[in-house]
Amino acid sequence: MGIEEEKPKAFQLKPMKCEFNFLSKSDGSAILSQGDTVAVVSVNGPLDIKSTSQSIEKSTLEVLYCTKGGKPSVADRYKENVIRQTCEAAVLGSLYPRTGITVTIQELEDFGGLLSCCLNCTCLALLNSGVSMRCTYAAITCAIDESGDIVLEPSKQHLDTARATMTFVFDSREKNLVTSVTEGVFSEDTYKEALARCHAASDLVFNFYREIIRKYANVI
Amino acid sequence: MAEIYKLIHPLKYFNDYISREIRPDGRKFHECRNIKLNVNSLKTAEASAVVKCGNTTVVCGIQLELASPKAEEPDFGYLVTNLELPALCSSKYRPGPPSDHAQVTNYLVSNIIVNSKCIDLKDLCIVPDKLAWVLYCDMVCLDNDGSLVDACIIALISSLKTLRLPTVTYDAETEDINVDPDIRTPLKVYGLPVATSFSVYKLPERDILITDPSIYEEEMCGGIGSNFIVCSNQSLLCGTQKFGGSNLPPESQEEALKISRDRANVVEKVIETCLANNCEINEI
Amino acid sequence: MKVSIDDVVLPGDYCEDIVNAGEKSKVILGPGLRKEIDKVYITKSGVLRKRAPNTYWVDSYQKRYVPSRAENVIGVVVQKAGDTFRVDVGGSCTATLSYLSFEGATKKNRPEVQVGDVLYAKMLIASKDMEPELVCVDSHGKKGRLGVLNDGFVFKCSLNLVRKVLSPNCPLLNSLKNEWPFELAVGMNGRIWIKAKTMRETIAVGNAILGCEYLSDSEIKSMCTNIASLLAGHVS
Repeated sequence: MGIEEEKPKAFQLKPMKCEFNFLSKSDGSAILSQGDTVAVVSVNGPLDIKSTSQSIEKSTLEVLYCTKGGKPSVADRYKENVIRQTCEAAVLGSLYPRTGITVTIQELEDFGGLLSCCLNCTCLALLNSGVSMRCTYAAITCAIDESGDIVLEPSKQHLDTARATMTFVFDSREKNLVTSVTEGVFSEDTYKEALARCHAASDLVFNFYREIIRKYANVI
Repeated sequence: MAEIYKLIHPLKYFNDYISREIRPDGRKFHECRNIKLNVNSLKTAEASAVVKCGNTTVVCGIQLELASPKAEEPDFGYLVTNLELPALCSSKYRPGPPSDHAQVTNYLVSNIIVNSKCIDLKDLCIVPDKLAWVLYCDMVCLDNDGSLVDACIIALISSLKTLRLPTVTYDAETEDINVDPDIRTPLKVYGLPVATSFSVYKLPERDILITDPSIYEEEMCGGIGSNFIVCSNQSLLCGTQKFGGSNLPPESQEEALKISRDRANVVEKVIETCLANNCEINEI
Repeated sequence: MKVSIDDVVLPGDYCEDIVNAGEKSKVILGPGLRKEIDKVYITKSGVLRKRAPNTYWVDSYQKRYVPSRAENVIGVVVQKAGDTFRVDVGGSCTATLSYLSFEGATKKNRPEVQVGDVLYAKMLIASKDMEPELVCVDSHGKKGRLGVLNDGFVFKCSLNLVRKVLSPNCPLLNSLKNEWPFELAVGMNGRIWIKAKTMRETIAVGNAILGCEYLSDSEIKSMCTNIASLLAGHVS
């Protein structure tokens, strides 16, 4: 039941392709490719977790990030933290107290923009799992190149030479900033412009989500 | 009475303060806590600093070591940061291996230092491919009362600024290393990155931006670790990290950038004054 | 984004039609909808549906069961603890089932239920803050169709498939029931119990149910006849 969706638009983003229920045994799963960057996410839950990590107010999110190499590093912990905090802002955890929701992310291919691909894929997997959510979110990566120009969804080559890279996540309700992760040095004006560009581009991602859900809505 | 009210209605308690334009500890929304800084307080470390931002206390010590550079980067030295959050600093932490939060905060701090390019790792190289300095920057948090990253950066930068590297002579033929601790040169620090933490609190009708949040405020605004951290180095930004908590509307963002600019100036002055005082003491 | 009935919806969308309807009369918000202050927000992805006069819900895809009141579920007894049984229903924690909530059960006359038995039971209490509780009797003390399911075969499927099979419009059971005899219990928790005369027939029923998940009504009918002819061909 692979349903594919390509998205060429005036405001160009890399073509996105997504398939739901990629893994048969998890409660929700999705595989997403943005250009050549690919990630798989599986979501399990709400399920029982050990009592030390239970919270009486909301469900506990656990995020596991597996790189292609498989060797865990501090940078992965950081990514996990970014993804977990983003998901926590989106999931209505208060509906499932004393339970856990496990999100496992597997990197498949990294040709730039892996973090935003992982974040978007996580959002799709959460949608697929049927966990109640406050809103959806969309992640966009951009790079500032040597001359100070902003490149949306940079490729690996762009990233290697870029002065700075930024990843922004916006929510679908008020289109406000949920998460931002930046690397490198940049001026305030560049930051604002990059934020505005990514903000505009996030609409394309939200449209893509809706298209995917529409395709799958026919079969449920 | 207030304590009981806080326990029974934690949200309402906090709301009552915020809707009256004041924070539970009496500060205004954008008032930062006082910064107390002392450098070279540890005699066993090559350079050190103790910083207190309100109650948040961080000690940073730098140890030096010699090593051969990596083969792929023969003219680069090393800067290794490590942050410890012992059980002592908050009831949230358990003794044992570093928690996720410690790892993440440490990564953030080292990222800011690397991104701001305030230390040129080439300065740490003595003889390319043979000998380079390793700076072990160990930070220990004694009391975590929010805005941890801010305090860590201040402690780390002040210690780096006081660091004076001993002269090393290297004999290429005999491979003898000679360290002369009496003749020292200060380490070059380019610029001065300053981090400012913010939390966003969502009232039904508007979002409130809180500067330099305490740990209680951070929790009320959605979990440990500040919601939004802006780091500026001189007039350039070298990292804006936002995760968790409430979402950030564009107006608050403008506000945050402005506040962080002002705060950077204040912190810069604090560090400069402290270093100047330290020099005077040394001369006497 | 603003949405209306029968639209494809995503979490974070809001529906004004429901709020307007709510001003005139009471409305019932089903799964996937949530009221926040003065707006009704969507919390699940899928299609927004309405049943006259005033029930709204979101048709969404889900595999994991979250207990809710008055649903019939299929559970497996995992433990006997004093005067209750612990039953795994596929939710986040096991459900309890008192041994007194069987037909004719008294303190002396305990029901014969062993660990590992499969039960068809009704959710009596299902609150997010409490353990779910099951019963095997209705409010009159009669067991009806509830109770231990003997023999047969249990398999898991998505919650949508369960709803589809149970929907009165679905031709699956109507087509199958004329082909060969079998017993069937469908739990809202995504578990289906089937029992037929032979293993071949059991497997055939199971495959027919699993196969219909993504088929249209006419395709289901043709699949059923197909399976029936296959089965008949091999048996004879």
